[in-house]
Amino acid sequence: MPHFTNKKFILLLVGTIFLVALISFSLRDRQNASVPEQFIKDTVGFAQSIVAKPANYITGIFNDINSLLNTYEENKRLKMRLEDFAVLQAEVNTLQSENKSLKELVDKEDSLKDYDPLKATVIARNPDQWEEKIILNRGSAQGVQLNMAVMTANGLIGKISLVTPFTSEVELLYSNNPNNRVSAIVHGEKSDVFGLVEGYDADRNELILKRIDSSFTVNEGEQVVTSGLGGIYPKGILIGEITEVTTDDYGLTKLAYVKPAANFSMLDDVIIAKRKSVSVDGSDGSSTNADLTNGTKNKTTDTTEGEE
Amino acid sequence: MIRFLIPFVAVVLFLLEPEFALFSPISLGDHTLTLVPRFVILYLIFISIYYSKKRACLYGLIFGLLYDVFYIDIIGLYSFLYPLVCFVAGSTVRFIHQHLSVTTILSIVLVALMEVFLYYFFYFIQFTTIPVSDFLSNRLLPTIIANLLFLIMLGWAFKYLINARVLQRAQDNS
Repeated sequence: MPHFTNKKFILLLVGTIFLVALISFSLRDRQNASVPEQFIKDTVGFAQSIVAKPANYITGIFNDINSLLNTYEENKRLKMRLEDFAVLQAEVNTLQSENKSLKELVDKEDSLKDYDPLKATVIARNPDQWEEKIILNRGSAQGVQLNMAVMTANGLIGKISLVTPFTSEVELLYSNNPNNRVSAIVHGEKSDVFGLVEGYDADRNELILKRIDSSFTVNEGEQVVTSGLGGIYPKGILIGEITEVTTDDYGLTKLAYVKPAANFSMLDDVIIAKRKSVSVDGSDGSSTNADLTNGTKNKTTDTTEGEE
Repeated sequence: MIRFLIPFVAVVLFLLEPEFALFSPISLGDHTLTLVPRFVILYLIFISIYYSKKRACLYGLIFGLLYDVFYIDIIGLYSFLYPLVCFVAGSTVRFIHQHLSVTTILSIVLVALMEVFLYYFFYFIQFTTIPVSDFLSNRLLPTIIANLLFLIMLGWAFKYLINARVLQRAQDNS
């Protein structure tokens, strides 16, 4: 070991203090990136997106091979569904036109369901997967904003947690942030049941739907979709399917495990959903008591406490 | 030419890491295995052992900082760990035989130690809540195996490249 002189020791001490200060400083404000950070992020992001193209191509091949292997079974299943599908399509058409005319009747234009889709490519995934996040090649220059919902064709995967001019970071639903909640509806047989998707179970690798009123019944296999009431996510995006229902720790409400519909491991193309109706920036996580209402204070009264 | 090849390889490895991370996590039966690619630090350990400790620490600082800013958003974590690991690796040169297999094992051990440190760090700041046993079986072990495979495949190439650089520098000096 090198012999420590006084000077070296002081240097080490100052270095340690500096390090701890730097870590705690950058831990405090993780939703915004400073200008040098943005510059580094955009530069690395640019290089990354060049590398990501062939890489995505290769993962695409893997996915293709995977789906090719399952072709026979899938085909069988799809054929069974096809018959239902024609009936369903007709039904949807009538419902849609009915819905439209009813909307005109009551003069209701914007719905929580409407959103502007923005396509993005995943250029990287946080390699040390302690925090589940991915990085997309679209940033504020393309209109991405904090807290927008991100999904794949299969279902919801997360929300935007940080934006730079040309990249953006997505916090996945799998992340461990206890403040990362999604207001959800279970489409039950008789009625719709509300709950909050809150955290996930690492052992089962499934999301947890909490705070379901115990007087309602939810069953396995029922679908969970976003409710749009949290203020961020559009309504009606599929989250997953219930696999098990139990009561929570205190026995007051029900708790259900939800298997996510989206596949989180091979993500390449995602859709960023920008809500058309007024969205409320749930400044979740940092528990700032800032004005979260985007200047729509009069319309929304108690959103600060609301889930996100 | 080789002079620029060494940092260039580091940059390529840095950019490849997140692409390989896209394959993770892998579901194997009941378990979900997380593989963490640690290509850059393995390469830097090789540089530290076969080439120059100082240079490795410098690269470690740069890539650690990039890593922090781009992926982690906690500045000071990897930009401290990378140079530290390089420093430790470089300090062992005097005591340990520099055979490729020994270097490979040493690199893997250092990466495993770094992984353990990171686990405790993230546990401490509550980014993760998984128990130690899960961490060992579902994260550390798969990570070690994956990175060992990587080194077995490419370790000789790293050594070859770095040796070529050392030889070139010796020729320049003479």
